[in-house]
Amino acid sequence: MSELKTAVDFGGVKMKNPVNTASGTFGYGWQFSELMDVSRLGAITTKGCAAEPWAGNPAPRMTEVRGGMMNSVGLQNPGVEAFARDSGPWLADLTASGTQVICQVAGHSTEEYVAALELFCELCPWAAGFEINVSCPNLAAGGAACGSTPEGAADVMRACRRVTDRPLFVKMAPVRVPEIARALEDAGADGLTLINSIPGMSIDVRTRRSKLSKPTGGLSGPLCHPIAVRMVWEAAQVVEIPICGVGGIMSGEDAAEFILAGATCVGVGMANLVEPGAAIRILEELEGWARAQGVSDINELVGALEW
Amino acid sequence: MPTPSPARVHEFSVVSNIEIADAVFALTIEAPALAAALRPGQFMNFAVPGNAQSLLRIPLSYAAADPAAGTVEIWFAVVGDGTRRLSQMAPYDTSTVLGPGGNGWGVPAGPEACERALLVAGGIGIPPIVALARELSRREIPFDACLGAASANRLVGVPELEALPTCGDVHVCTDDGTAGTKAFCTDPAALLLSNKAYGYAATCGPGVMMKKVASAAAAAGVPCEASLERMMACGFGACNTCNVETVDGMKGACMCGPVFDATKVVVW
Repeated sequence: MSELKTAVDFGGVKMKNPVNTASGTFGYGWQFSELMDVSRLGAITTKGCAAEPWAGNPAPRMTEVRGGMMNSVGLQNPGVEAFARDSGPWLADLTASGTQVICQVAGHSTEEYVAALELFCELCPWAAGFEINVSCPNLAAGGAACGSTPEGAADVMRACRRVTDRPLFVKMAPVRVPEIARALEDAGADGLTLINSIPGMSIDVRTRRSKLSKPTGGLSGPLCHPIAVRMVWEAAQVVEIPICGVGGIMSGEDAAEFILAGATCVGVGMANLVEPGAAIRILEELEGWARAQGVSDINELVGALEW
Repeated sequence: MPTPSPARVHEFSVVSNIEIADAVFALTIEAPALAAALRPGQFMNFAVPGNAQSLLRIPLSYAAADPAAGTVEIWFAVVGDGTRRLSQMAPYDTSTVLGPGGNGWGVPAGPEACERALLVAGGIGIPPIVALARELSRREIPFDACLGAASANRLVGVPELEALPTCGDVHVCTDDGTAGTKAFCTDPAALLLSNKAYGYAATCGPGVMMKKVASAAAAAGVPCEASLERMMACGFGACNTCNVETVDGMKGACMCGPVFDATKVVVW
């Protein structure tokens, strides 16, 4: 069997293979250290952190729905400084072993994103890049509130671009994808991650209460996959910068759909929670698919959708 | 780096799966490494095979572990699609389970550390209390118990507790009076806590029940632990969904719990 080249360049982050993890489903990486060989992955994306610690939303934060789950975590995080102190050494070792680390940046306003990013740049020299989360559906301010319009998303991106030349990505909301993707490219993003979870509702009809502590939450899992693939394809039609496809990947075939739709790499999400180690299985299945397609370099399949 | 969860993925095969009360099953699995690693109050996260509408694992506590036989006995209530499919697993069926998860009960070392313990449990909160009672007995610590259930046909655990050598009084309460006293198990528990000297109290069941036990224990000056239930996705500290609000901030039930010092819990 001829050797398959699997390395991809995700906006300046040199990944040895296209498999990344979706932020929020992989903790800070070390939570999986005894359950799988994290260093097999091309990259991991850590849970979002802000300049200051956030307590997150009250319980219940999760409910299961047919073919997926809904969450309302609200980006609970210890703040960048505690993250860098507690998780940094392990993540630096992971980087040294060849798996890139992308740190997700959280905020309630442009100023807070900038403050968090400045701390990340100072305290995380091992980070290969940063993902600005302008699409969390579970925040009253920030998150999707500033990422749901081209102007709002671009404002945050431009301000972050002034902070650093290191690779910057934006986690996009599942709305107005072509417009926002273009605006982010113009504002200097090195790549896009899409999609974040889809705003949804799940109601306990006996108690007439939301099954989450807030009326709405973020829907994720395999039921979102076809929507996410379509949105990656839409974005890939209008931007040159690379895309990380995220949304309900449970198998190598699910990942391959994102690649064909135009994603350079993929982020495994809910599958990590069900089956720690799923990302490695998905990588192996993805490689098997690429070989069966008869290519020598997986990059040949990026955007290779035929119709 | 903080310490990762002790949970590992274990293959298991079903030894037996018996309905021991109305819609409550006793599942015995063979999983030797897990049986050897579990401590009372810890939990495990089951992958249930089948054409699933629900994909996440099911977190369950256990009632008994037998390291010599390599088996674990789990009592669970059928409440949704996942537990319904779990109830249909037959002997020799196999799947995987992720565990042990969480901290477990802070069991007193022996009778010199705790002269007598009080256990208060309701409904499907009884199984982890049964596992705790076995360990108390092994450590020669006498205990009394107050068990509650909706009705007699939903009640589990009474014969298992009464068979233990250090078991004292077992007070049974049901909502409809079909077994024991028609009352909440918090009623005899509060009485016992004010009248008898206990060195340790433990509770598991509905939040409102545990809150009452916690306040009665605090009033009596008895150290009290509570095992809390939360909706949980991963069970090993990655997803931040199973939060418990404590006086020290938000804590994940899967890593900092499910057993908490009852005086620290803010939202039951």
